[in-house]
Amino acid sequence: MDSNSPQPESTPVPPSSDPLTNQFTSLNDLAHELTSLQDLANRGSWLSIVDKVNRARSLSLLNTPNDHLTYLAYIVLSLTKLRRFQEAQTELDSLDDFNSHHYRYETYPKIYHDRSGSMVPFSLRWLHALLPIKLGNRQEGLDRFYLLLDFVREKLNRNGNDESVKVWRKREVFVVNHIINQHLSNKELSVCIDLIDALISRGNLDPVLLSKLGYVQMQIGDLDGANVSFGKVERIASESVENESGLRNLASRNKALVYLVGKDYLSAVREYDECIERDAMDYVAINNKAICLMYLRDLADSIKVLESSLERVPTVALNETLIVNLCSMYELAYVNHSDNKRTLNNWIARVAPDDFDSSCTRV
Amino acid sequence: MSTPPATQSLAFRVMRLCRPSFHVDTPLLLDPSDLILGEDIFDDPLAATHLPSLIDTHLTNPIDSSDLSYRSRFLLQTPFDSFGLTGLLVLPQSFGAIYLGETFCSYISINNSSNFEVRDIVIKAEMQTERQRILLLDTSKTPVESIRASGRYDFIVEHDVKELGAHTLVCTALYSDGDGERKYLPQFFKFIVANPLSVRTKVRVVKEITYLEACIENHTKTNLYMDQVEFEPAPNWSAKILKADEHKSEDNSPSREILKPPVLVQSGGGIRNYLYQLSLSSLGSAQSNVLGKLQITWRTNLGEPGRLQTQQILGTPITPKEIELHVAEVPSAINLDRPFLVHLNLTNQTDRELGPFEVWLSQDDTLDEKAVMINGLQTLELSQLEAFGSTDFYLNLIATKLGVQKITGITVFDKSEKKTYAPLPDLEIFVDMH
Repeated sequence: MDSNSPQPESTPVPPSSDPLTNQFTSLNDLAHELTSLQDLANRGSWLSIVDKVNRARSLSLLNTPNDHLTYLAYIVLSLTKLRRFQEAQTELDSLDDFNSHHYRYETYPKIYHDRSGSMVPFSLRWLHALLPIKLGNRQEGLDRFYLLLDFVREKLNRNGNDESVKVWRKREVFVVNHIINQHLSNKELSVCIDLIDALISRGNLDPVLLSKLGYVQMQIGDLDGANVSFGKVERIASESVENESGLRNLASRNKALVYLVGKDYLSAVREYDECIERDAMDYVAINNKAICLMYLRDLADSIKVLESSLERVPTVALNETLIVNLCSMYELAYVNHSDNKRTLNNWIARVAPDDFDSSCTRV
Repeated sequence: MSTPPATQSLAFRVMRLCRPSFHVDTPLLLDPSDLILGEDIFDDPLAATHLPSLIDTHLTNPIDSSDLSYRSRFLLQTPFDSFGLTGLLVLPQSFGAIYLGETFCSYISINNSSNFEVRDIVIKAEMQTERQRILLLDTSKTPVESIRASGRYDFIVEHDVKELGAHTLVCTALYSDGDGERKYLPQFFKFIVANPLSVRTKVRVVKEITYLEACIENHTKTNLYMDQVEFEPAPNWSAKILKADEHKSEDNSPSREILKPPVLVQSGGGIRNYLYQLSLSSLGSAQSNVLGKLQITWRTNLGEPGRLQTQQILGTPITPKEIELHVAEVPSAINLDRPFLVHLNLTNQTDRELGPFEVWLSQDDTLDEKAVMINGLQTLELSQLEAFGSTDFYLNLIATKLGVQKITGITVFDKSEKKTYAPLPDLEIFVDMH
């Protein structure tokens, strides 16, 4: 056979089409190489994601409008996580107005057939409100968050199908939470309480929310209020049929906080030990237990608890706050604490995800 | 011969141990659907059916310890994970401000940075203020036997801050170093104590009831939660706090039982006012004008308490009145030019006989005719009143003008002591046509 005979023309591969008209089994049907992006995100390899997005763009690997938007969402999220806020903003600015027809399914019937609506990933709207705050313009960001809340509530009023309503309800809670975060970081605690009150009145008797209400009350100093909130969580936990460890630990950690505030550090440590036994990855219990040990004058053991957690469960223990606490303990315990901190910093550099803020070691 | 400066084997390290705080941040966690899918995709019924399970299978598996990914730094596990308050505590990161009424607590660590063991360590910690030196810790009776090389001895001290101004935490160690030489290490940690609050009071007497207004101003950098503000009256007084009526709305909100709005005084100049009604519990013993003191308990982060008491608050001395004249009843219908009776009561509030008395309507200097005059004899005679006795009497009056009028100047005169008491305050009446 003549090896130079022309190959039969292969049928042109159709551009990546709407996955919902085909049977699909993988994420890659939703966007170009989505599985790879998702995998990198899970591993905290945000730098790699930035590279991958840039490469895909320069090699024109993205074919559909939703590919471009998904990749944009990934790169804006990555840059935000890497604290490169100005670059994230620049990427976001490359978009038209979110409501432009360019980002609607019905503009491309050849690709999306009968589908209509906005293909903008909701995370872009969220980051659009968050970035001004990260860049120092708190008022602009807060205004955008409140406008975003109106936008979400309007979507809920349209009465879509069950799944659609479920998703927008989740987004409503998401946006309210972020508004609460802004007021919380600005120490406007009474406003936070009002917002939480509103969430609860709308039927959100989620034990996590009730616990966080308790934490706000404790932060203010309203210990009686906190006790009432924690009491509700305890009741939900004890009535829960599934007896899942997450809820049990939540109730336990709340109880430990009440002990801690009453200066009964031994009982607090006992509660935290129970939590850790139920769930070795309960890093809040681990961190708070170490703090209690310090108040019990046991600096040596508090350091041991944190150091061993970094060895045993690094993917959750490698948390900026936990590291801040460990470094404070080093500064107190060792005259040559810079050595300890440098060792810690080197280990972090090898193991930590790209978005880890190593300024917390104060080296 | 100059001795070279001795190098110390030991060093004190100090960390203020006020309560920890909750870590607050903006979690960069999201729902994977919001990243990889268009926001309106679930409007498509096909998507609504197929996508959620795809997402669940590939993206939202629960985390277990064999999972070596940093997924928890990326994906939301519960809806309220985006509320950035996990309950994670942070140690105090700086010394911070210390205020009068708080408790100063500190972790103190003595480190042996030498290569040799040190022995027989006598440790002392004292708080030095402008006025006094308070011992917080002293191991002279039971010295610490030894601290090994690179070893440490820790202790925690607490001190209720009761003075303003400069404070010094003086830590000293007397020890035998590696060469057997007895060494002395003093270290000083200075801080300033400021006033967290100022209290301004105003005392007013209205119709013989004493009212105390207290205004508390917050001078600290954090909001203060007013745990308790109580007025402790002096022995012969009793006090009742007066509160504004609360809104009765929102009674059926499910959160009502959880949320009582906290009393928070804003940082840096916020104020809160309190109003008390005071009454004398026994007569004749109000010689001193001391009303009492205000006790204030506040809390800051994680319930860190502070306590202050004001100095004695002084009121204006009230001299109890010897006689008490008051109106018992005024007829509801008063007609022009028709006589009417006003029922009055005169009480002798002293422990001796007073009187006899005369009662009249005092004349003012104007030549205008009074709208209300006594009908008949212009002076009423009342007999003596025994100690703590009282008598009822009637004044026969007549109104000469229509509409809203005043009965002015009902005056009591003690004939034996030749004393005119202050007239009764004006009494308003409505005069109708008959």
